[in-house]
Amino acid sequence: MKNTILCVKWGDKYGNEYVEKLKDQVEKNCSVPFNFYCLTDNPTQSYDVQLPTTWDAYENGNFWAYRKMYMFNEKTIDIKGDRFLYLDLDVIIQQDLKYFFDIDMERPYIVKGWWNDIEVCKKNFAKFQSPMINSSVIRWNRAQLQKVYKHINDNLDVIFFTYPTIDNYLNHFWYNMHEEARSDVDRPDKSFLNVFPKGDIYSWYKGNVFPDDMEPKKRREDCKICLFNNSGEDNDTEELKLLWNT
Amino acid sequence: MEYLKYTPEMARDWKNAINASEGYLRKRVADSMNESQLVSKLWLVEELSNLNVKPVNISLLAGWFAQYIVPLLYDNIESVEWIENFEMDRDIKRVAYKFNTRYKKEDKYKVSIRNVMFGNLISLSSPTFDTVINCSCEHMYPMSKFKKLKNTGVDDNALYILQSSNDTQYDDHINCVNDADELADQANLIDVLYAGEKLLPNGMTRFMVIGR
Repeated sequence: MKNTILCVKWGDKYGNEYVEKLKDQVEKNCSVPFNFYCLTDNPTQSYDVQLPTTWDAYENGNFWAYRKMYMFNEKTIDIKGDRFLYLDLDVIIQQDLKYFFDIDMERPYIVKGWWNDIEVCKKNFAKFQSPMINSSVIRWNRAQLQKVYKHINDNLDVIFFTYPTIDNYLNHFWYNMHEEARSDVDRPDKSFLNVFPKGDIYSWYKGNVFPDDMEPKKRREDCKICLFNNSGEDNDTEELKLLWNT
Repeated sequence: MEYLKYTPEMARDWKNAINASEGYLRKRVADSMNESQLVSKLWLVEELSNLNVKPVNISLLAGWFAQYIVPLLYDNIESVEWIENFEMDRDIKRVAYKFNTRYKKEDKYKVSIRNVMFGNLISLSSPTFDTVINCSCEHMYPMSKFKKLKNTGVDDNALYILQSSNDTQYDDHINCVNDADELADQANLIDVLYAGEKLLPNGMTRFMVIGR
């Protein structure tokens, strides 16, 4: 099968029930055939794939989230498929995921936090805070993100030291906040990463689109995916579990 | 060194720069112009003037708007011919040029948008840099890494002028040091010509080393 949906689980923040629930959601909400994998430090299921440990030596407190980036090199993790859709474990899938396999793939896609105020994102750019993009959902074709993997692999010490989250790293190197907003700044070139259109993906805690549709904790059925991440603050897993069952 | 020469040309450029800084940029410009910023740059140029060195082509790493350091260097260090400010934040470029338009017009100043810790800094117009100034060491990985990078355009025997801080209260101060010796060690400086510290008006202790 060409289509692959994958997630990543390590440590004990999320139990196996999150993977099972995600698998259940994608099976109910994807009308095209797909492979399903979970990259994990503790493989126990048939869909589990062992996460590499080659970057563990650079553990410094920031590294934990970077494990997600192993998947950008499909050769390293030996997964099948040509068209990949990554999903965080704490998402609610609301519509058919076929949409993500049908979109134009000139560039790989990542979530743009349309709920962010771009002025705040620009103000905090040099402080490694308030990234405009969010890596909870990523769509790429085989080999499209190997350039990103290589950049990380070639600069592990500096990247793990400098960027507290992968979203900050990706925001700094592979996305240009200015490509739509300004034309008089340096290198107003296309971002390497494309972003999912406004209204596709929203945040349970932060809203949908700034400044007009920002009510938190509101179900938006027209959107395809709801994200539950909240920069590590006040994530209410019980609230997520309740929504799984609605 | 006690002051910056406020010339009519500087007044024109600064007025244009401030007019060009809208919204959140206006506050950032204000932050970049505070008393402590000026004191630390005056200190740098004063100590550099006291040494028997003649910087010609200067690579200014993470120089931000560079409205103080550029005129201070040109006004007080006769040998300086070129300053290139390598900044990673695209947003500052336009205003950084406005502040130093007079030098840009004379082909003595350039702003390049680069993350300095990843190399590939040089462009066709870049000379070989004999001097590196980094007043933002607390914001980045230790400078020993920069010295090993390729395509920075920096001469192997370049003079390094580095400043950092022990002020850990800010999230973006990711690499504070405890003293000037630690700053020199981080950059693997072997021949240290100057090492010192200064308490700035904002209460922050600033460390500076000059060496190769």
